[in-house]
Amino acid sequence: MSDVSPGGAGQPDDDEPVTAYGRTGPPLPPDAPPGPLSGATPDPVPTPEPGSVPTPVPARARPRRPPSGAPVTGRPGRGGERRGSGRSLLDRRFARLGWCFATPALLVVLAVTLFPVSFSIAMSLSDVEVSADGFRLSGFTADHYRLVLGSERWRHALMFTVLYTIGTVLVELLLGTLIALVLERLGGAGRGWMMALLLLPWAMITVVSAQLWAYMYNGVYGVLTTLSENVTGEPVQFLGTRVPAILSMAVADIWKTTPFVAIIVLAGLMMLPSDVTEAARVDGAGAWTAFWRVRLPLLRPALTIAVLFRILQAFGLFDLPFVLTGGGPGDATESLALLGWQAMFTNLDFGPGAAVAASTAGLVLVGCLLFLRAFRARVGDEEAGR
Amino acid sequence: MKRIRLSWTHGAALLIAAFVAAPLYWMAASSLKGRTEIGASPPDAWPKDGTLANYRDAFLDNDFGTYLLNSVAVAVVATVLVLGLSSFAGYALARLPLRGKAPIMVALLMISLFPTIALAAPLFLLMRELGWLNSYQGLILVYTALNVPFAVWILRNFFLGIPKEMEEVAWVDGASPLRTVVSVILPQARPGMFTAAIFTFTACWTEFLIALTLNTADRYRTMPVGLALFGSQFTIPYGTIFAAATVSVLPIALLVLVFRRAVVSGLTAGAVKG
Repeated sequence: MSDVSPGGAGQPDDDEPVTAYGRTGPPLPPDAPPGPLSGATPDPVPTPEPGSVPTPVPARARPRRPPSGAPVTGRPGRGGERRGSGRSLLDRRFARLGWCFATPALLVVLAVTLFPVSFSIAMSLSDVEVSADGFRLSGFTADHYRLVLGSERWRHALMFTVLYTIGTVLVELLLGTLIALVLERLGGAGRGWMMALLLLPWAMITVVSAQLWAYMYNGVYGVLTTLSENVTGEPVQFLGTRVPAILSMAVADIWKTTPFVAIIVLAGLMMLPSDVTEAARVDGAGAWTAFWRVRLPLLRPALTIAVLFRILQAFGLFDLPFVLTGGGPGDATESLALLGWQAMFTNLDFGPGAAVAASTAGLVLVGCLLFLRAFRARVGDEEAGR
Repeated sequence: MKRIRLSWTHGAALLIAAFVAAPLYWMAASSLKGRTEIGASPPDAWPKDGTLANYRDAFLDNDFGTYLLNSVAVAVVATVLVLGLSSFAGYALARLPLRGKAPIMVALLMISLFPTIALAAPLFLLMRELGWLNSYQGLILVYTALNVPFAVWILRNFFLGIPKEMEEVAWVDGASPLRTVVSVILPQARPGMFTAAIFTFTACWTEFLIALTLNTADRYRTMPVGLALFGSQFTIPYGTIFAAATVSVLPIALLVLVFRRAVVSGLTAGAVKG
């Protein structure tokens, strides 16, 4: 257990409702209004995550909390609250200190992400001229989007990326859950070693794994080609034609990222209160029913995180096709990110490239929102506040 | 009944281990094969006459040593910067009465999930203006910014778990805010710092798209870029590549094995990029 519990786990947050997401919860239900996030659960005492074993809230922590899900902003700071008179002064000093502490980090993030993203959007909407000594944006035009969204190649990349994402994430979810169940049963030192082994592909440079699979798939001396010849009597050309190339890339991807899903699900499994499963068993539920009806629903938060992060990653698919297939054969494995990158840096078409990039980012955002909304609707109120 | 189930579990575990380990074995084994053996068909399961020629080729005759050092330098500096920036920001967002904490946290998350392809072109143009293409500082700045959001989330969660009494005592004893954070809070949050550090390091170590965009000059390539661009269109010297790749896996493998707990707790803390 201690193997997977996050550092401060167990102790519910003694703080404002941002943590309604919970420590292990899905990071953002962005359809919640950004202000009083706790809106869905006006619960003065933080609800422990459904998955975790509730530990008693330290007695001292309770009275300090504001009476109910008060909005984060406009609430008097706790520092002052306790000290009675002169609180606004102290409070203001603490706030100023807070900004001193937080500003450097926020500035760096702003400079390197928000500014470029807005610039990217601007670039996708204007004429871009890149020359040896700089670049110029002029005028407003939707031509790039018209050009890109109307092109066969973009539609193909979109189709490929979406289907590939759905396919690989589904397989990873299934395999990852199975692996997690096996590891949960394994217990003890065996589980520790297995987890260490599973972390290796995850921590590996994706380019390395891509080169490795390219070598194993090689049509002449690849070990998998030889193996396939032994099995089917004829060597399979893994990367030679469309469908096998897509499937082969998916296998390489699944090899690298299933462990990630497995570990998250395993952590979720280990946080389930054991009494629930026991109760189900006492009530006569078989192992299968107990899993399907009792544990799987409780696992949903863990599964959501895993799926969300995998979707985001898979949608940005770049390293693997860049090295393994170069987007080929033809444009069979050309993902949106690869298409956008090639447009910008191979062909130096910054405008259309930015349009691809911006539309990809937009799709990711919309996809995540839809996913989270579906998830919340399905789970209902009791978990939605997390 | 019980024994059967036990052995079934072990069998499945072995199968999983084999599936995960086989490609890794193949990489290490191939890195020890000679020039002819690596292109042999059918391939040998075991390097017949093991040789370190590939390692010599990668690190003495080619520049993988430089790429490795570049990767280490960029990742280490970025990790240190991320920890420095995020521990203060995380503390402020956990404990100090800031307005708009919730929107800030949500915005940070959205940013940390953003596909990097959307950043590639503007960052390229920005770095070109600054003259920071093919430099360390350019890549370090970008990696720092990309990893701060997740680190802030992790650290903030750890700070929330530290009893408030600790800092109150420090305040009362007249410690300055800076002192309080540095000598009272940070030591308490050590596991969180570890987790954030390992995730940042791993993310920087594996990052490819931005490195490929900003640092293509041979001297400044990181390991992923070096490995991807090595070889010509017609021959790919796999022996050399796998020698370098095996060496690149070792530090991260060591890190992951030693700090397994921190990694797993970070994974469960809700997020991972990379």
